[in-house]
Amino acid sequence: MTTFVTLIILGLLWGGVYLLAAEGLNLIYGVMKVVNLAHGDFIVFGGLLAFSLYGFIGINPLLSFPVTAIVLLAIGAAVQFGILERIGLDRGDAELRTLLATFGLSYVVANTSFLLWGSQFQSIPFLQGFVRAGPIAIPQALLVCSVLAFAVAILVHVWLNYTMLGKSVRAVAQSGLGAASCGLDIVRIRVLAFAIGSAMAGSAGALLISLIPFQTSSGGELTVQAFTLIALGGLGNYAGAFLAAELLGLVEVMVQYYLGTNAASAVIYIVFIGVLIFRPYGLLGRAVRV
Amino acid sequence: MPSHLIRLTAAVGVVAASLLTSGAWAQDKTPIKLGLAITQTGPYSPPALFELHGYELAVDQINKAGGLLGRQIEIVKYDDQGNPSTAVQLYQKLLTDDKVDLLLSPYQADLVAAVAPIVNRAQKVMPSLAANVEIYNGKYPYLMQSITQTGRYMEPVIDLAASKGYKTIALLVQNTQFPKQLGEGVVALAKQKGMEVVFNESYPPTTTDFSALVLKAGEKKPDVIIGATYLADAQGIVRAAKAQNVQAKMFAFSIGPVEPEFYRGLGSAAEQMFGTTLYFKSLKTKGNPEFVAAYKAKYDVDPDYHAAVAYASMKIFGEVVSKVGSLDQKKIRDEFVKTDEPTVVGEYKLNQNGLQLGYTSYALQWLKGQQELVYPKDQATADYVLPHSAWQ
Repeated sequence: MTTFVTLIILGLLWGGVYLLAAEGLNLIYGVMKVVNLAHGDFIVFGGLLAFSLYGFIGINPLLSFPVTAIVLLAIGAAVQFGILERIGLDRGDAELRTLLATFGLSYVVANTSFLLWGSQFQSIPFLQGFVRAGPIAIPQALLVCSVLAFAVAILVHVWLNYTMLGKSVRAVAQSGLGAASCGLDIVRIRVLAFAIGSAMAGSAGALLISLIPFQTSSGGELTVQAFTLIALGGLGNYAGAFLAAELLGLVEVMVQYYLGTNAASAVIYIVFIGVLIFRPYGLLGRAVRV
Repeated sequence: MPSHLIRLTAAVGVVAASLLTSGAWAQDKTPIKLGLAITQTGPYSPPALFELHGYELAVDQINKAGGLLGRQIEIVKYDDQGNPSTAVQLYQKLLTDDKVDLLLSPYQADLVAAVAPIVNRAQKVMPSLAANVEIYNGKYPYLMQSITQTGRYMEPVIDLAASKGYKTIALLVQNTQFPKQLGEGVVALAKQKGMEVVFNESYPPTTTDFSALVLKAGEKKPDVIIGATYLADAQGIVRAAKAQNVQAKMFAFSIGPVEPEFYRGLGSAAEQMFGTTLYFKSLKTKGNPEFVAAYKAKYDVDPDYHAAVAYASMKIFGEVVSKVGSLDQKKIRDEFVKTDEPTVVGEYKLNQNGLQLGYTSYALQWLKGQQELVYPKDQATADYVLPHSAWQ
């Protein structure tokens, strides 16, 4: 019984970790329909930046994640304004264009990281202990990452649904022309949304690197994981992403324990395919997006 | 070490080598062409560059001492960028266009396995830095294993555990070629020593969440937890063990603790963790202090095990060629398998197929933030600490 409860707690907490890695992408891809294939590389860049801040100045990820968020905010704004806005976002094939542009960008970001940090795995020794709850040991770092992930999910949900600016972002995503004719500055809003999504990736990186060692080529794997999660939850839907993350975390930990680690990734994708067959728009997705 | 520094030192090395060889031409004797392709750029380059530097240092020393067979050695080298098909093309080029006299090995098992057929077909002897044993089963008689066999990496750890009376092992194995063979080695060694493997499970290389796996391994209450790992998964297992309070008397990992990043990433959690290495700079092996000093003087860093095995393989290659007295590859091969020589790494001894029998490995332990060699005793830089203190 203790084991079972431990597994459930671990699964829920790892779900939070996956959610953290996917939240920025959920805003950029799910809400804005911009496919950012460099998302994982942004996370890695943010993580390695936090690693350097820890190594040289000694500040821990809880203090450095706002810094990495600001750096990635600037990079994200520059990418949207300097690249994505210049390649014909208003044309019919905009999704393909952004896909190709960010595919190239992922190489630029990953190789910049390689030049700055080399190819070795790096991580930060932070919050490695456990909190005791009766006979169960709950990992500290997992707990902190999860709580922050949930907090971010709630904040973004509120922002998108209950504030003027958030509603503007959704309006621009739904119809740039319609939003512009209502007087919205759509370039400014797109730059803002992409920058915030990138900042979320940057801050996620700072926290994740104390849990998962990063190397400069880790980005691709993270991007795929994040895509899976938000597609499962329903693109752009923050409550859906939360549900999907918890489902993935639980399935992974349970399968690891009862069927073996090699089966875990297979089962996760079987669940994914099952959800797509019966709910093609994701767990909480709607046929018409946003 | 930042990669631009590595490149800079590599460039300095090239200039130095070309200066030396131009000096050789002045003696009016054609140099011996020594060819290789190795990963000089890209994510896999850092360990490969250590090997390249090991090779180059050995060649420098041979050239300074009058060369090989009275001729200077000229290195012909290419960058395979870590790509097996590029490596195959480059070895093809070395053999047909450059017509090199002698060949050295690329870095990483995949690349060695990729070039093995063409090297062997050309009947060129190649001291090879691939630890997995399949390619030395007689299929490629011109490959000479110049690194410890994969299955023996954990030998000192098992010896030490057995000597402490530990009985049970939980084994966690990354599901890729090298760790799998290493894990099989652990099972065989444990059996020899009368220890029991009570848990043996593999995981895919992309695994980042080790929580359930470590929990399950811990439930068997093993005396020793052994990971057949690389760096990131070794760290993942230690993190999970500490964060979930999974205890054992001894924790040991194959690759992982040997890297400085292991401690940098884990901090105090890395304390008392055991690892293995094929070489340590304090080794009391033949010529080792001189090697460490020369390497440090030339490249401004301490040599790691990649540098040492590469250096030793080139030195042995030179000795074998000198003994044969010509570049006849058949004769060099026959002489090579008879070798039984001390090197900086240890005793270099092969079987008739070129399988390495002499090299073993050494057990490391992280103690107070320092990597210490703790076993075997006669090479130890510090006393080991066992059993592992309970997690705080």
